[in-house]
Amino acid sequence: MNAATAVAPNAQSLQDPKVRRARRRRADPLIERRFPLHLEPHMQTIRGLYHQAKTAHWDPEKHIPWAKFDASAYSAEQLRAAALSWSRRAWTEYGGLPETPAILIRFCLEHGGESDPKMFLTVRGSEEAWHTECCWRFADLVGKYSDRPASDHYAGLFNQDFHREAFEPGISVDAYIAVHSAILDGIDLELNRGYLRHATDPVALSMLKRMVQDKERHVAFGWVYLAERAAGWDDAARAEISAEIDQAIEGLLLSGAICAWLAPGGIADDIVAADAITRQAGLGAMSVAEESAVVAQFLGEARDHLARLGVAMADIRDRAAAGDRVAVSG
Amino acid sequence: MSAVLSHSLLDESESRFPLDLNIRIPKIRDLYRQATAKQWDPVKAVPWDELHPEQYSDEQRYAARLYWSRRAWGEYGAISESPALQIRFCQQHHAPDMRFFFTLRTQEESRHAEVCYLVAEKLGGYIDAPVQSAFQGSVATHGVRKMALDLDMPLEATIASLVCAAEEIAFDVFGHLIKITTNPAAKRALQLIMRDEVRHCAFGWAYMEERVKQLTPGQLAGVEQAVVNMIEKVELNGYHSAWLGPDTPATRAETEADRITYEAGLGATVESDEKPVFIKSIKRIRKQMQAWGFTLKQFTHPKIEGAF
Repeated sequence: MNAATAVAPNAQSLQDPKVRRARRRRADPLIERRFPLHLEPHMQTIRGLYHQAKTAHWDPEKHIPWAKFDASAYSAEQLRAAALSWSRRAWTEYGGLPETPAILIRFCLEHGGESDPKMFLTVRGSEEAWHTECCWRFADLVGKYSDRPASDHYAGLFNQDFHREAFEPGISVDAYIAVHSAILDGIDLELNRGYLRHATDPVALSMLKRMVQDKERHVAFGWVYLAERAAGWDDAARAEISAEIDQAIEGLLLSGAICAWLAPGGIADDIVAADAITRQAGLGAMSVAEESAVVAQFLGEARDHLARLGVAMADIRDRAAAGDRVAVSG
Repeated sequence: MSAVLSHSLLDESESRFPLDLNIRIPKIRDLYRQATAKQWDPVKAVPWDELHPEQYSDEQRYAARLYWSRRAWGEYGAISESPALQIRFCQQHHAPDMRFFFTLRTQEESRHAEVCYLVAEKLGGYIDAPVQSAFQGSVATHGVRKMALDLDMPLEATIASLVCAAEEIAFDVFGHLIKITTNPAAKRALQLIMRDEVRHCAFGWAYMEERVKQLTPGQLAGVEQAVVNMIEKVELNGYHSAWLGPDTPATRAETEADRITYEAGLGATVESDEKPVFIKSIKRIRKQMQAWGFTLKQFTHPKIEGAF
């Protein structure tokens, strides 16, 4: 599998959207050559994650104690807040449903690709469906699931077109996995670990435990894959990965698509306020200050991890800090 | 196959909201729940110690390796191509039940490819390409990815042809294979695959039951034509059954491997046994589709006497 190396610009020039677009246009179209079809284990650690995932399979119907939810333990305000917090969680989790099949097909379109990532992704897709179902169902259980954000501007942040990006021949699979599995899934895992730490409700606890276990595998997949591939990268491949990560951090994290308190102009203030109440009620959320700390720690660790693979990542921890928002919403 | 089409789903931007996750097609939501509840692991669910490769001749083992490798290539098609349907369900806001169900379906296809790979491997080694390259055309693709991403191809036509035709044919052949396969491990692998395929087929009919009453006569004619194309250009070209492929040295070699595997009780069938099953499938599909408002044409094939 080749990283997209049609040109070899440095990371700085790749920050320019015009350079990135031009580079993508020059990439060869994706053409599948199915044979030889490798199904034997090649990336043993990823095959191991696939086997672990099959063994750890669960069923939202059977393994989540839905009947243990006691609405009388919470105020009407807390229930309303939790319904919004978990609706927002469903909107986010849902992103995997179109994205995972797209990157799975992309792996299949790459000539000579190993089967291990493909097999792993088929299970990840199921797990994302269970996560989405749980968040939707819990939002309905505590109040009522909302099928869209109150703000159209905030709603627009969720239209990320990841499925199109996965098919984009000008973005290498390695860069895609670095952005989505290592960095974005990594942030998501740490946020969910935080929700789990602060949850006391038995249903929220049970869901979050299952989700965190699955997400740990999703993130491990990303880093293991990158570690396996890193030896084959040249400077251009590293520059591309670096640029794609910086772009994703700018366009997705700092835009507020992941952490509502980073959204500009107060477009997600209702979510931020709801999360604060949900966290206090032990229904599975974090305050702005807590989320901010988690994100900052993750970004620092990810930067170190990427540096060991020879990939630079901009240090934007100060820009991802909660700042004044802590005083307002935390 | 290129992922690029003239009017492709990939040209459309995402519009996630309103994000409906409610139950809209209860039969399909039930299939999703069943699939979640009935997961299995190829490594553990097959009694591998009952395969006993040592009880077979070199010729039999080689033929069976080829047969099970070929099965794996076919199952892989559903990993490489069918997930495009999931993208379409999401991007076009089709019933949430379909989006949930298809995630599990893709995982099941991976299990099927894995179990077929494991049978071949344990018999002496998985074979990663058709021995004769001329056979690649028959097994390389059933064209579903292209259909799913092509916005000019109605979804109903894709589901009807892929699921209600192609998968139904495969399902009947599985039933036949389970009856004639004597090796316990090979038989169990087939049973496990068939257990999932029941749901895959049911999904297609449940979806079409919802949709068919809303189709115009022109749209219905498009569905009928897509089914005809799937049967004529894919199935009758040997996608699932080698003996139906064009009569070439490559096809003859594959069918000979099938015969040896069949005689060893390791999982394949032969033209004479499969032919009536195939014809019966086509007739059954034709009858079931009459409820949609059309009667499929009669088909012909050089290896089958008369129209069927």
